[in-house]
Amino acid sequence: MSSLLPFLIGEAFRDLKRAGRVAVSAVLLITLSLAALGAFWVLSLNLGRAVAQWRDRLRVVVYLREEPPTGAVEGLLRKVEAVGGIQRLRYVSKAEALQTLRRQLGGQASVLEQLSANPLPSSVEVTPVSDASTPEGTRALIQRLSALVEVEEVQGGTEWVERLAQWQRLLQGIGLGVGAVLALAAILTVTTATTLVLHVRREEMEIMRLVGASEMVIRVPLFLQGLAQGLLGAAVAVGGLYLAYMLALPTVEPLLSLTLGLPRATFFSPTEMALLLSGGGLLGACGGLLAKGRSESGRQS
Amino acid sequence: MIQLHRVWKVYRVGPVRVTALADVSFSIEKGEFTVLAGPSGSGKTTLLRLLYRDDLPTEGEIQVAGYEVTSLRRSKIPQLRRAVGVVFQDAKLLPARSVYENVAFVLRVLGAPRREITPRVMQTLKAVGLSAKAQALPAQLSLGEQQRAALARALVKEPALLLADEPTGNLDEAISEEILDLLKEIWNRGTTILLATHRATLADQLKRRTIVLDGGRLLEDEP
Repeated sequence: MSSLLPFLIGEAFRDLKRAGRVAVSAVLLITLSLAALGAFWVLSLNLGRAVAQWRDRLRVVVYLREEPPTGAVEGLLRKVEAVGGIQRLRYVSKAEALQTLRRQLGGQASVLEQLSANPLPSSVEVTPVSDASTPEGTRALIQRLSALVEVEEVQGGTEWVERLAQWQRLLQGIGLGVGAVLALAAILTVTTATTLVLHVRREEMEIMRLVGASEMVIRVPLFLQGLAQGLLGAAVAVGGLYLAYMLALPTVEPLLSLTLGLPRATFFSPTEMALLLSGGGLLGACGGLLAKGRSESGRQS
Repeated sequence: MIQLHRVWKVYRVGPVRVTALADVSFSIEKGEFTVLAGPSGSGKTTLLRLLYRDDLPTEGEIQVAGYEVTSLRRSKIPQLRRAVGVVFQDAKLLPARSVYENVAFVLRVLGAPRREITPRVMQTLKAVGLSAKAQALPAQLSLGEQQRAALARALVKEPALLLADEPTGNLDEAISEEILDLLKEIWNRGTTILLATHRATLADQLKRRTIVLDGGRLLEDEP
Protein backbone atom coordinates (compact mmCIF):
# COMPACT_ATOMS: atom_id res chain seq x y z
CA MET A 1 0.00 0.00 0.00
CA SER A 2 2.86 2.39 0.82
CA SER A 3 4.17 2.12 -2.75
CA LEU A 4 0.64 2.39 -4.17
CA LEU A 5 -0.37 5.55 -2.33
CA PRO A 6 1.82 8.01 -4.30
CA PHE A 7 0.61 6.35 -7.52
CA LEU A 8 -3.06 6.64 -6.48
CA ILE A 9 -2.66 10.30 -5.47
CA GLY A 10 -0.75 11.01 -8.70
CA GLU A 11 -3.54 9.40 -10.75
CA ALA A 12 -6.19 11.39 -8.88
CA PHE A 13 -4.48 14.70 -9.72
CA ARG A 14 -3.87 13.59 -13.29
CA ASP A 15 -7.64 12.91 -13.50
CA LEU A 16 -8.41 16.35 -12.07
CA LYS A 17 -6.32 17.95 -14.81
CA ARG A 18 -8.13 15.85 -17.38
CA ALA A 19 -11.55 16.94 -16.12
CA GLY A 20 -10.44 20.55 -16.70
CA ARG A 21 -13.29 23.05 -16.76
CA VAL A 22 -15.87 20.60 -15.46
CA ALA A 23 -13.72 20.01 -12.38
CA VAL A 24 -13.37 23.79 -11.94
CA SER A 25 -17.19 24.12 -12.18
CA ALA A 26 -17.58 21.40 -9.57
CA VAL A 27 -15.18 23.20 -7.22
CA LEU A 28 -17.06 26.49 -7.81
CA LEU A 29 -20.42 24.88 -7.08
CA ILE A 30 -19.11 23.33 -3.89
CA THR A 31 -17.72 26.76 -2.95
CA LEU A 32 -21.09 28.39 -3.64
CA SER A 33 -23.13 25.81 -1.75
CA LEU A 34 -20.88 25.89 1.30
CA ALA A 35 -20.55 29.69 1.17
CA ALA A 36 -24.37 30.02 1.14
CA LEU A 37 -24.71 27.53 3.95
CA GLY A 38 -21.84 29.16 5.84
CA ALA A 39 -23.19 32.70 5.42
CA PHE A 40 -26.58 31.73 6.87
CA TRP A 41 -24.80 29.77 9.56
CA VAL A 42 -22.70 32.79 10.64
CA LEU A 43 -25.83 35.00 10.72
CA SER A 44 -27.71 32.37 12.68
CA LEU A 45 -24.81 31.97 15.12
CA ASN A 46 -24.77 35.69 15.89
CA LEU A 47 -28.54 35.89 16.14
CA GLY A 48 -28.44 32.89 18.47
CA ARG A 49 -25.97 34.70 20.69
CA ALA A 50 -28.23 37.76 20.75
CA VAL A 51 -31.23 35.61 21.72
CA ALA A 52 -29.28 33.91 24.51
CA GLN A 53 -28.00 37.26 25.74
CA TRP A 54 -31.47 38.84 25.74
CA ARG A 55 -32.99 35.84 27.47
CA ASP A 56 -30.35 36.27 30.13
CA ARG A 57 -31.06 39.98 30.49
CA LEU A 58 -34.84 39.58 30.68
CA ARG A 59 -36.49 41.69 33.39
CA VAL A 60 -40.10 41.92 34.58
CA VAL A 61 -41.01 45.26 36.20
CA VAL A 62 -43.70 45.19 38.89
CA TYR A 63 -45.18 48.70 39.39
CA LEU A 64 -46.66 49.24 42.86
CA ARG A 65 -49.95 51.02 43.68
CA GLU A 66 -48.33 52.94 46.52
CA GLU A 67 -44.81 53.44 47.75
CA PRO A 68 -44.40 51.21 50.83
CA PRO A 69 -43.05 52.75 54.03
CA THR A 70 -39.28 52.10 54.51
CA GLY A 71 -39.88 49.41 57.12
CA ALA A 72 -42.33 47.51 54.87
CA VAL A 73 -40.03 47.10 51.84
CA GLU A 74 -38.40 43.91 53.14
CA GLY A 75 -41.80 42.30 53.79
CA LEU A 76 -43.06 43.32 50.34
CA LEU A 77 -39.99 41.84 48.61
CA ARG A 78 -40.48 38.53 50.52
CA LYS A 79 -44.13 38.49 49.41
CA VAL A 80 -43.13 39.07 45.76
CA GLU A 81 -40.42 36.40 45.92
CA ALA A 82 -42.94 33.93 47.32
CA VAL A 83 -44.84 33.80 43.97
CA GLY A 84 -41.95 31.57 42.71
CA GLY A 85 -39.85 31.43 39.52
CA ILE A 86 -37.73 34.42 40.58
CA GLN A 87 -33.95 34.47 40.49
CA ARG A 88 -33.28 38.01 41.74
CA LEU A 89 -35.34 41.04 42.66
CA ARG A 90 -34.60 44.67 43.51
CA TYR A 91 -36.77 47.42 44.92
CA VAL A 92 -36.71 50.77 43.06
CA SER A 93 -38.13 53.66 45.06
CA LYS A 94 -39.95 56.66 43.49
CA ALA A 95 -36.87 58.82 44.19
CA GLU A 96 -34.47 56.33 42.57
CA ALA A 97 -36.76 56.07 39.52
CA LEU A 98 -36.73 59.85 39.14
CA GLN A 99 -32.96 59.95 39.53
CA THR A 100 -32.57 57.33 36.81
CA LEU A 101 -34.86 59.29 34.50
CA ARG A 102 -32.87 62.45 35.20
CA ARG A 103 -29.67 60.61 34.25
CA GLN A 104 -31.25 59.31 31.06
CA LEU A 105 -32.49 62.76 30.04
CA GLY A 106 -29.03 64.26 30.51
CA GLY A 107 -29.09 67.88 29.23
CA GLN A 108 -32.91 67.88 29.06
CA ALA A 109 -33.22 66.97 32.75
CA SER A 110 -34.27 70.52 33.64
CA VAL A 111 -37.81 69.75 32.40
CA LEU A 112 -38.24 67.67 35.52
CA GLU A 113 -37.93 70.85 37.63
CA GLN A 114 -41.34 71.85 36.30
CA LEU A 115 -42.99 68.91 38.07
CA SER A 116 -44.76 69.71 41.32
CA ALA A 117 -44.51 66.09 42.56
CA ASN A 118 -42.68 62.90 41.57
CA PRO A 119 -45.17 61.14 39.22
CA LEU A 120 -43.11 57.95 38.87
CA PRO A 121 -44.31 54.85 40.71
CA SER A 122 -42.09 52.74 42.90
CA SER A 123 -41.38 49.29 41.48
CA VAL A 124 -39.72 45.90 41.91
CA GLU A 125 -37.37 44.68 39.15
CA VAL A 126 -37.68 40.93 38.85
CA THR A 127 -35.21 38.60 37.06
CA PRO A 128 -36.94 35.27 36.34
CA VAL A 129 -35.14 31.96 36.79
CA SER A 130 -33.90 30.57 33.45
CA ASP A 131 -36.78 28.03 33.26
CA ALA A 132 -39.27 30.90 33.41
CA SER A 133 -37.53 32.81 30.56
CA THR A 134 -39.75 31.20 27.94
CA PRO A 135 -42.88 33.10 26.76
CA GLU A 136 -45.15 30.67 28.64
CA GLY A 137 -43.02 30.84 31.82
CA THR A 138 -42.95 34.63 31.76
CA ARG A 139 -46.71 34.88 31.12
CA ALA A 140 -47.40 32.62 34.12
CA LEU A 141 -45.04 34.68 36.32
CA ILE A 142 -46.70 37.95 35.23
CA GLN A 143 -50.11 36.45 36.06
CA ARG A 144 -48.98 35.47 39.55
CA LEU A 145 -47.40 38.86 40.18
CA SER A 146 -50.53 40.74 38.92
CA ALA A 147 -52.62 38.89 41.48
CA LEU A 148 -50.81 40.62 44.38
CA VAL A 149 -52.92 43.44 45.88
CA GLU A 150 -49.95 45.84 46.11
CA VAL A 151 -49.37 45.59 42.36
CA GLU A 152 -50.71 48.20 39.92
CA GLU A 153 -49.24 46.81 36.69
CA VAL A 154 -46.64 44.29 35.50
CA GLN A 155 -44.56 44.90 32.36
CA GLY A 156 -42.18 42.58 30.60
CA GLY A 157 -42.19 39.55 28.34
CA THR A 158 -40.14 37.47 25.99
CA GLU A 159 -42.31 37.69 22.89
CA TRP A 160 -39.88 39.82 20.94
CA VAL A 161 -36.94 37.68 22.02
CA GLU A 162 -38.88 34.66 20.79
CA ARG A 163 -39.57 36.44 17.53
CA LEU A 164 -35.80 36.91 17.24
CA ALA A 165 -35.34 33.22 17.93
CA GLN A 166 -37.89 32.45 15.20
CA TRP A 167 -35.87 34.57 12.78
CA GLN A 168 -32.80 32.63 13.80
CA ARG A 169 -34.57 29.32 13.06
CA LEU A 170 -35.84 30.71 9.75
CA LEU A 171 -32.29 31.71 8.78
CA GLN A 172 -31.06 28.24 9.69
CA GLY A 173 -33.83 26.70 7.57
CA ILE A 174 -33.12 28.93 4.56
CA GLY A 175 -29.39 28.24 4.91
CA LEU A 176 -29.94 24.51 5.02
CA GLY A 177 -32.42 24.66 2.09
CA VAL A 178 -30.23 26.78 -0.19
CA GLY A 179 -27.13 24.83 0.89
CA ALA A 180 -28.85 21.49 0.20
CA VAL A 181 -29.99 22.50 -3.30
CA LEU A 182 -26.53 23.81 -4.18
CA ALA A 183 -24.91 20.77 -2.56
CA LEU A 184 -27.01 18.49 -4.76
CA ALA A 185 -25.94 20.47 -7.81
CA ALA A 186 -22.33 20.23 -6.61
CA ILE A 187 -22.55 16.44 -6.20
CA LEU A 188 -23.98 16.12 -9.71
CA THR A 189 -21.22 18.31 -11.14
CA VAL A 190 -18.50 16.29 -9.40
CA THR A 191 -20.23 13.16 -10.74
CA THR A 192 -20.18 14.63 -14.25
CA ALA A 193 -16.53 15.62 -13.91
CA THR A 194 -15.64 12.14 -12.71
CA THR A 195 -17.73 10.46 -15.43
CA LEU A 196 -15.89 12.55 -17.99
CA VAL A 197 -12.60 11.40 -16.51
CA LEU A 198 -13.82 7.81 -16.57
CA HIS A 199 -14.61 8.17 -20.25
CA VAL A 200 -11.10 9.46 -20.92
CA ARG A 201 -9.63 6.79 -18.65
CA ARG A 202 -11.59 3.90 -20.17
CA GLU A 203 -8.54 2.48 -21.95
CA GLU A 204 -6.41 2.78 -18.82
CA MET A 205 -9.04 1.07 -16.72
CA GLU A 206 -9.26 -1.77 -19.23
CA ILE A 207 -5.50 -2.21 -19.04
CA MET A 208 -5.58 -2.01 -15.25
CA ARG A 209 -8.20 -4.76 -15.09
CA LEU A 210 -6.38 -6.83 -17.69
CA VAL A 211 -3.10 -6.85 -15.79
CA GLY A 212 -4.75 -7.71 -12.49
CA ALA A 213 -5.17 -4.41 -10.64
CA SER A 214 -7.56 -4.70 -7.72
CA GLU A 215 -10.84 -2.77 -7.84
CA MET A 216 -9.54 -0.67 -4.95
CA VAL A 217 -6.66 0.61 -7.11
CA ILE A 218 -9.14 1.47 -9.87
CA ARG A 219 -11.64 3.19 -7.57
CA VAL A 220 -9.48 5.07 -5.08
CA PRO A 221 -8.29 7.76 -7.56
CA LEU A 222 -11.96 8.57 -8.34
CA PHE A 223 -12.70 8.93 -4.66
CA LEU A 224 -9.56 11.01 -4.11
CA GLN A 225 -10.24 13.40 -6.98
CA GLY A 226 -13.81 13.99 -5.71
CA LEU A 227 -12.44 14.52 -2.21
CA ALA A 228 -9.83 16.98 -3.50
CA GLN A 229 -12.49 18.98 -5.38
CA GLY A 230 -14.68 19.04 -2.28
CA LEU A 231 -11.90 20.11 0.08
CA LEU A 232 -10.69 22.77 -2.32
CA GLY A 233 -14.25 24.14 -2.75
CA ALA A 234 -14.79 24.18 1.01
CA ALA A 235 -11.45 25.88 1.67
CA VAL A 236 -12.27 28.61 -0.86
CA ALA A 237 -15.74 28.99 0.72
CA VAL A 238 -14.34 29.36 4.25
CA GLY A 239 -11.64 31.77 3.01
CA GLY A 240 -14.22 33.83 1.08
CA LEU A 241 -16.56 33.97 4.05
CA TYR A 242 -13.76 35.09 6.34
CA LEU A 243 -12.77 37.81 3.89
CA ALA A 244 -16.40 38.97 3.64
CA TYR A 245 -16.67 38.90 7.45
CA MET A 246 -13.54 41.04 7.87
CA LEU A 247 -14.70 43.51 5.22
CA ALA A 248 -18.22 43.80 6.66
CA LEU A 249 -17.12 43.96 10.28
CA PRO A 250 -16.59 47.77 10.57
CA THR A 251 -20.11 48.42 9.19
CA VAL A 252 -22.00 45.53 10.72
CA GLU A 253 -20.60 45.55 14.23
CA PRO A 254 -21.97 48.97 15.33
CA LEU A 255 -25.31 48.02 13.77
CA LEU A 256 -25.42 44.77 15.74
CA SER A 257 -24.50 46.60 18.89
CA LEU A 258 -27.24 49.19 18.34
CA THR A 259 -30.05 46.80 17.34
CA LEU A 260 -29.29 43.55 19.11
CA GLY A 261 -26.95 44.71 21.82
CA LEU A 262 -24.19 42.38 20.64
CA PRO A 263 -20.78 43.90 21.46
CA ARG A 264 -19.09 42.06 18.55
CA ALA A 265 -19.90 39.78 15.65
CA THR A 266 -18.25 36.36 15.72
CA PHE A 267 -16.98 34.06 12.95
CA PHE A 268 -16.80 30.26 12.97
CA SER A 269 -14.83 28.46 15.65
CA PRO A 270 -12.04 26.10 14.43
CA THR A 271 -14.40 23.15 15.00
CA GLU A 272 -17.11 24.74 12.88
CA MET A 273 -14.58 25.48 10.12
CA ALA A 274 -13.42 21.86 10.27
CA LEU A 275 -17.07 20.80 9.94
CA LEU A 276 -17.52 22.92 6.80
CA LEU A 277 -14.30 21.51 5.30
CA SER A 278 -15.40 17.97 6.09
CA GLY A 279 -18.79 18.75 4.52
CA GLY A 280 -17.02 19.83 1.34
CA GLY A 281 -14.85 16.73 1.31
CA LEU A 282 -17.93 14.56 1.81
CA LEU A 283 -19.79 16.26 -1.06
CA GLY A 284 -16.85 15.74 -3.42
CA ALA A 285 -16.22 12.16 -2.37
CA CYS A 286 -19.95 11.37 -2.84
CA GLY A 287 -19.77 12.76 -6.37
CA GLY A 288 -16.65 10.70 -7.16
CA LEU A 289 -18.17 7.51 -5.78
CA LEU A 290 -21.49 8.04 -7.57
CA ALA A 291 -19.67 8.36 -10.89
CA LYS A 292 -17.88 5.13 -10.15
CA GLY A 293 -21.21 3.43 -9.48
CA ARG A 294 -22.56 4.62 -12.82
CA SER A 295 -19.47 3.49 -14.70
CA GLU A 296 -19.20 0.15 -12.97
CA SER A 297 -22.68 -1.14 -13.76
CA GLY A 298 -22.30 -4.05 -16.11
CA ARG A 299 -18.52 -4.11 -15.95
CA GLN A 300 -16.37 -7.15 -15.36
CA SER A 301 -18.55 -10.16 -16.24
CA MET B 1 -1.32 -24.85 -16.83
CA ILE B 2 -4.62 -24.81 -18.79
CA GLN B 3 -7.44 -27.35 -18.63
CA LEU B 4 -10.75 -27.10 -20.43
CA HIS B 5 -13.44 -29.69 -19.87
CA ARG B 6 -16.49 -29.75 -22.16
CA VAL B 7 -16.63 -25.98 -22.52
CA TRP B 8 -19.56 -24.37 -24.29
CA LYS B 9 -20.13 -20.72 -24.97
CA VAL B 10 -23.48 -19.71 -26.40
CA TYR B 11 -24.49 -16.10 -26.96
CA ARG B 12 -28.15 -15.16 -27.10
CA VAL B 13 -28.98 -12.33 -29.44
CA GLY B 14 -32.71 -11.85 -28.95
CA PRO B 15 -34.32 -15.14 -29.96
CA VAL B 16 -31.17 -16.25 -31.84
CA ARG B 17 -28.57 -18.50 -30.18
CA VAL B 18 -25.03 -18.22 -31.50
CA THR B 19 -22.66 -21.03 -30.50
CA ALA B 20 -19.15 -19.64 -30.20
CA LEU B 21 -17.63 -22.73 -28.57
CA ALA B 22 -19.08 -26.23 -28.58
CA ASP B 23 -17.90 -28.95 -26.25
CA VAL B 24 -14.22 -27.95 -26.28
CA SER B 25 -11.82 -29.96 -24.11
CA PHE B 26 -8.03 -29.90 -24.02
CA SER B 27 -5.19 -29.30 -21.64
CA ILE B 28 -1.86 -27.50 -21.95
CA GLU B 29 1.05 -28.33 -19.69
CA LYS B 30 3.35 -25.84 -18.02
CA GLY B 31 6.14 -24.72 -20.35
CA GLU B 32 4.32 -25.64 -23.59
CA PHE B 33 4.17 -23.40 -26.67
CA THR B 34 0.79 -24.09 -28.26
CA VAL B 35 -0.78 -22.58 -31.34
CA LEU B 36 -4.55 -22.09 -31.37
CA ALA B 37 -5.41 -21.95 -35.04
CA GLY B 38 -8.60 -21.45 -36.98
CA PRO B 39 -10.29 -19.06 -39.37
CA SER B 40 -11.84 -15.80 -38.25
CA GLY B 41 -15.00 -16.46 -36.21
CA SER B 42 -13.87 -19.95 -35.19
CA GLY B 43 -13.97 -19.07 -31.49
CA LYS B 44 -10.27 -18.41 -30.76
CA THR B 45 -10.77 -14.98 -29.19
CA THR B 46 -13.80 -16.20 -27.22
CA LEU B 47 -11.72 -19.04 -25.83
CA LEU B 48 -8.88 -16.71 -24.81
CA ARG B 49 -11.37 -14.37 -23.11
CA LEU B 50 -12.67 -17.28 -21.06
CA LEU B 51 -9.10 -18.11 -20.00
CA TYR B 52 -8.43 -14.70 -18.47
CA ARG B 53 -12.00 -14.52 -17.11
CA ASP B 54 -13.18 -11.68 -19.29
CA ASP B 55 -16.24 -13.83 -19.89
CA LEU B 56 -17.79 -16.98 -18.42
CA PRO B 57 -18.56 -20.20 -20.32
CA THR B 58 -22.17 -21.24 -20.68
CA GLU B 59 -21.18 -24.76 -19.63
CA GLY B 60 -18.03 -26.65 -18.73
CA GLU B 61 -15.02 -26.19 -16.49
CA ILE B 62 -11.83 -24.23 -16.97
CA GLN B 63 -8.66 -24.22 -14.90
CA VAL B 64 -5.85 -21.73 -15.53
CA ALA B 65 -2.60 -21.46 -13.55
CA GLY B 66 -4.17 -23.27 -10.63
CA TYR B 67 -7.34 -21.15 -10.58
CA GLU B 68 -10.79 -22.67 -11.05
CA VAL B 69 -11.86 -19.96 -13.50
CA THR B 70 -15.54 -20.88 -13.81
CA SER B 71 -16.21 -20.63 -10.09
CA LEU B 72 -13.68 -17.88 -9.37
CA ARG B 73 -15.04 -15.16 -7.09
CA ARG B 74 -15.02 -11.68 -8.58
CA SER B 75 -12.58 -10.46 -5.93
CA LYS B 76 -10.10 -13.17 -6.99
CA ILE B 77 -10.10 -12.24 -10.71
CA PRO B 78 -7.14 -9.82 -10.28
CA GLN B 79 -5.05 -12.67 -8.84
CA LEU B 80 -5.73 -14.84 -11.89
CA ARG B 81 -4.90 -11.96 -14.23
CA ARG B 82 -1.60 -11.32 -12.47
CA ALA B 83 -0.58 -14.84 -13.46
CA VAL B 84 -1.62 -14.33 -17.09
CA GLY B 85 -0.16 -11.90 -19.63
CA VAL B 86 -2.32 -10.96 -22.61
CA VAL B 87 -1.39 -9.34 -25.93
CA PHE B 88 -3.83 -8.46 -28.69
CA GLN B 89 -3.73 -7.81 -32.41
CA ASP B 90 -3.79 -4.08 -31.73
CA ALA B 91 -1.21 -3.23 -29.13
CA LYS B 92 -3.66 -1.25 -26.91
CA LEU B 93 -0.91 1.03 -25.64
CA LEU B 94 -1.87 4.18 -23.74
CA PRO B 95 -1.24 6.90 -26.34
CA ALA B 96 -0.34 9.71 -23.94
CA ARG B 97 2.29 7.70 -22.07
CA SER B 98 5.78 6.80 -23.24
CA VAL B 99 6.83 3.20 -23.84
CA TYR B 100 8.56 3.25 -20.45
CA GLU B 101 5.42 4.62 -18.76
CA ASN B 102 3.18 2.06 -20.48
CA VAL B 103 5.27 -0.77 -19.10
CA ALA B 104 5.89 0.81 -15.69
CA PHE B 105 2.13 1.48 -15.37
CA VAL B 106 1.57 -2.26 -14.84
CA LEU B 107 4.04 -2.45 -11.98
CA ARG B 108 2.65 0.73 -10.42
CA VAL B 109 -0.96 -0.48 -10.41
CA LEU B 110 0.19 -3.79 -8.95
CA GLY B 111 1.97 -1.94 -6.13
CA ALA B 112 5.54 -2.96 -6.95
CA PRO B 113 8.16 -1.23 -4.75
CA ARG B 114 9.35 2.01 -6.37
CA ARG B 115 13.03 1.05 -6.47
CA GLU B 116 12.20 -2.12 -8.43
CA ILE B 117 10.21 -0.42 -11.18
CA THR B 118 12.93 1.16 -13.33
CA PRO B 119 15.30 -1.87 -13.33
CA ARG B 120 12.46 -4.27 -14.15
CA VAL B 121 11.01 -2.08 -16.89
CA MET B 122 14.41 -1.49 -18.51
CA GLN B 123 15.27 -5.18 -18.29
CA THR B 124 11.99 -6.11 -20.01
CA LEU B 125 12.40 -3.42 -22.67
CA LYS B 126 15.91 -4.76 -23.33
CA ALA B 127 14.50 -8.29 -23.68
CA VAL B 128 12.07 -7.12 -26.38
CA GLY B 129 14.70 -4.88 -28.04
CA LEU B 130 13.10 -1.55 -27.19
CA SER B 131 15.57 -0.02 -24.70
CA ALA B 132 16.41 2.77 -27.12
CA LYS B 133 12.75 3.71 -27.57
CA ALA B 134 11.87 3.86 -23.88
CA GLN B 135 10.94 7.54 -23.98
CA ALA B 136 9.10 7.42 -27.30
CA LEU B 137 5.33 7.77 -27.47
CA PRO B 138 3.40 4.88 -29.07
CA ALA B 139 2.59 7.05 -32.11
CA GLN B 140 6.32 7.43 -32.76
CA LEU B 141 6.79 3.63 -33.02
CA SER B 142 6.36 1.28 -35.98
CA LEU B 143 3.60 -1.35 -35.72
CA GLY B 144 6.20 -4.02 -34.92
CA GLU B 145 7.69 -1.86 -32.19
CA GLN B 146 4.23 -1.19 -30.77
CA GLN B 147 3.63 -4.94 -30.57
CA ARG B 148 7.00 -5.38 -28.83
CA ALA B 149 5.99 -2.71 -26.31
CA ALA B 150 2.69 -4.55 -25.74
CA LEU B 151 4.67 -7.75 -25.16
CA ALA B 152 6.93 -5.94 -22.69
CA ARG B 153 3.84 -4.71 -20.85
CA ALA B 154 2.46 -8.25 -20.66
CA LEU B 155 5.79 -9.71 -19.55
CA VAL B 156 6.99 -7.17 -17.00
CA LYS B 157 4.88 -8.74 -14.24
CA GLU B 158 6.51 -12.11 -15.07
CA PRO B 159 3.37 -14.11 -15.84
CA ALA B 160 3.40 -17.90 -15.87
CA LEU B 161 1.18 -17.90 -18.97
CA LEU B 162 1.15 -15.62 -22.02
CA LEU B 163 -1.99 -15.45 -24.17
CA ALA B 164 -1.31 -13.87 -27.55
CA ASP B 165 -4.40 -13.10 -29.65
CA GLU B 166 -3.28 -12.61 -33.27
CA PRO B 167 -0.22 -10.58 -32.25
CA THR B 168 1.04 -10.57 -35.85
CA GLY B 169 -2.36 -9.87 -37.41
CA ASN B 170 -1.49 -6.28 -38.36
CA LEU B 171 2.15 -6.91 -39.31
CA ASP B 172 3.91 -7.79 -42.54
CA GLU B 173 5.76 -11.08 -42.81
CA ALA B 174 9.23 -9.87 -41.89
CA ILE B 175 8.04 -8.10 -38.75
CA SER B 176 5.75 -11.04 -37.91
CA GLU B 177 8.79 -13.28 -37.91
CA GLU B 178 10.59 -10.95 -35.54
CA ILE B 179 7.64 -11.12 -33.16
CA LEU B 180 7.48 -14.90 -33.44
CA ASP B 181 11.22 -15.12 -32.68
CA LEU B 182 10.63 -12.97 -29.66
CA LEU B 183 7.79 -15.22 -28.50
CA LYS B 184 10.12 -18.23 -28.86
CA GLU B 185 12.74 -16.46 -26.73
CA ILE B 186 10.09 -15.75 -24.07
CA TRP B 187 9.01 -19.40 -24.21
CA ASN B 188 12.67 -20.51 -23.89
CA ARG B 189 12.83 -18.60 -20.63
CA GLY B 190 10.02 -20.81 -19.23
CA THR B 191 6.77 -18.94 -19.97
CA THR B 192 3.86 -21.07 -21.20
CA ILE B 193 2.48 -19.56 -24.41
CA LEU B 194 -0.85 -19.94 -26.16
CA LEU B 195 -0.77 -18.15 -29.52
CA ALA B 196 -4.03 -17.66 -31.41
CA THR B 197 -3.73 -17.15 -35.16
CA HIS B 198 -5.86 -17.46 -38.27
CA ARG B 199 -2.75 -17.95 -40.43
CA ALA B 200 -2.37 -21.66 -41.14
CA THR B 201 1.14 -21.05 -42.54
CA LEU B 202 2.25 -19.54 -39.25
CA ALA B 203 1.18 -22.66 -37.36
CA ASP B 204 3.14 -24.83 -39.82
CA GLN B 205 6.16 -22.57 -39.60
CA LEU B 206 6.32 -22.75 -35.78
CA LYS B 207 6.20 -26.57 -35.71
CA ARG B 208 4.51 -26.60 -32.33
CA ARG B 209 1.45 -28.32 -30.95
CA THR B 210 -1.52 -26.89 -32.83
CA ILE B 211 -5.13 -26.91 -31.66
CA VAL B 212 -7.48 -26.14 -34.52
CA LEU B 213 -10.91 -24.65 -33.95
CA ASP B 214 -13.60 -24.36 -36.59
CA GLY B 215 -17.11 -23.13 -36.01
CA GLY B 216 -16.47 -23.27 -32.28
CA ARG B 217 -15.57 -26.99 -32.35
CA LEU B 218 -12.16 -28.50 -31.73
CA LEU B 219 -11.19 -29.90 -35.12
CA GLU B 220 -7.64 -31.11 -34.53
CA ASP B 221 -5.12 -31.28 -31.71
CA GLU B 222 -1.77 -32.07 -33.29
CA PRO B 223 1.22 -32.52 -30.99
